[in-house]
Amino acid sequence: MSLTLYHGEPNGPSLTVLAALFAKQVPAELSYVDLARGERHVLACAQEPLVAMSIEGEGPVLVADGEAMSDSVFIACYLDDVGQGAGLRPADPYDRWETMKWCRQMIERTAPAAAYLGCHAHPPQADGAMLQRIGSVDLRARWEEIAARRFCAEKLEDSRTKIRQAAERVEAQLADREWLMGNYSIADLESYAWLAGMVPLVPEAFVNRPRTKSWFARVKASPAVAQALSLARTPEPAASWSVGPEINRWG
Amino acid sequence: MHSVTLYHWEPNANSGKPMLALMEKGVAFNSHYLDLLKFDQHRPEYLAVNPQGTIPAMVHGDRVLTESTAMMEYVDEAFPGPKLMPADPRDRWRVRWWMKLMDQWLGPSFSMIGWSVFVGPAVRSRDPAELKAAVERIPLPERRVAWSKAIAGNFGAEEMAESRRRVALGIRMLEDALARRAWLASDEFSLADINGFNLAYALPLAQPALSNDDLTPNILRWLRTIYARPATRACWAMGRTSMVERVKILEQPHIAAGQIA
Repeated sequence: MSLTLYHGEPNGPSLTVLAALFAKQVPAELSYVDLARGERHVLACAQEPLVAMSIEGEGPVLVADGEAMSDSVFIACYLDDVGQGAGLRPADPYDRWETMKWCRQMIERTAPAAAYLGCHAHPPQADGAMLQRIGSVDLRARWEEIAARRFCAEKLEDSRTKIRQAAERVEAQLADREWLMGNYSIADLESYAWLAGMVPLVPEAFVNRPRTKSWFARVKASPAVAQALSLARTPEPAASWSVGPEINRWG
Repeated sequence: MHSVTLYHWEPNANSGKPMLALMEKGVAFNSHYLDLLKFDQHRPEYLAVNPQGTIPAMVHGDRVLTESTAMMEYVDEAFPGPKLMPADPRDRWRVRWWMKLMDQWLGPSFSMIGWSVFVGPAVRSRDPAELKAAVERIPLPERRVAWSKAIAGNFGAEEMAESRRRVALGIRMLEDALARRAWLASDEFSLADINGFNLAYALPLAQPALSNDDLTPNILRWLRTIYARPATRACWAMGRTSMVERVKILEQPHIAAGQIA
């Protein structure tokens, strides 16, 4: 099996996948791509339909025996299937359901909000030629908005609300446990990856959240996440953002 | 063996996904029909089961499950019967990729069109005070907005155009994928096909200019093959409204371009 992982700074979706790769000890060639410059779109594998049309926004790409895979939670599930050691999802079907449901909420509610606030505070700088190569019309439209610094006050406020709600859920979930799903799982990676960078941007969401605070420290210190963070090329990877998933159009 | 109760609407979209998955697995379940157009899903009896007021919900013993796609994975893992997820990890990734695209990108575009032409008009004739009260009972703010828009017929031209663009592109993506493989995400029938059928079963009827035997032969082949499965027949027999009749378009052996106006 030949694997190449194209990843950006260890934050958001790249962090989830890098940490899953290290946790499961999957051998892969690592290739750094500056997602904040839109560099992913010059890769040949980015033109594959299931990468070009990924609705995650600017995320990592794993090429496995010639097939390019996108969407960080599902790549992490794949790595969990093919790798070694403790599972990154619980064994019980109900607990697995809860994990997938939790991640879906992160993907659909938290990630768009975090990426929007992250890009607002730390604007990605893509050059125009790169943007022309983007296959997905709606992703290009999101890039154009952000490149032009056109942010909508209502969406910013809604995004802050979504982050507050996510922090509330994390705090409640940790009432009786160290890790979100009982054992260390993809849910911890995905939630940390989107929320760690939100602490300075939406500070009020994390006030009086002692369990979340110590969970942040635990996840950060876990060997897989620490190894992923060691690949950072910027002093503060949690401040590195690129265009994320779209904020729900309706319903 | 714990009993299974499924709270669902018509065999269609999110409700139809676990219905069809349970039937493919051969799992007997108590069917609890909720009339979406009468807002049964926001009544206190149902909110006691699922406080979010979203359909479907499944109760297995003392476990309550929501989120239809995650629920389908549970159905596949928790019960004996034919496997509905492929064994190969990369195939499994592809199943999940397609389900996400359909759940979060293509499905909402289909449903925006569906709600503007069907759900909105179906409820709009009701007493405005009753509708207002019904909308106020909706727990999720996003769903309140969606229902308000549907009732008022308040979809902007731009957002409708964007939904039509996505539907047209999504149809091409499905056709391309099904030209490569017998099934949507792998070489065997999977949850992606169950998910896709619930989204697309009436496609040649709803989007005749974009999907027919001339333009999208592989989509039509795929839909007819799924429709021929005993589980699909049994599932669609559970429908209570005329909505269920739409699937019969697939009984036509050939639907030519321009045949359905």
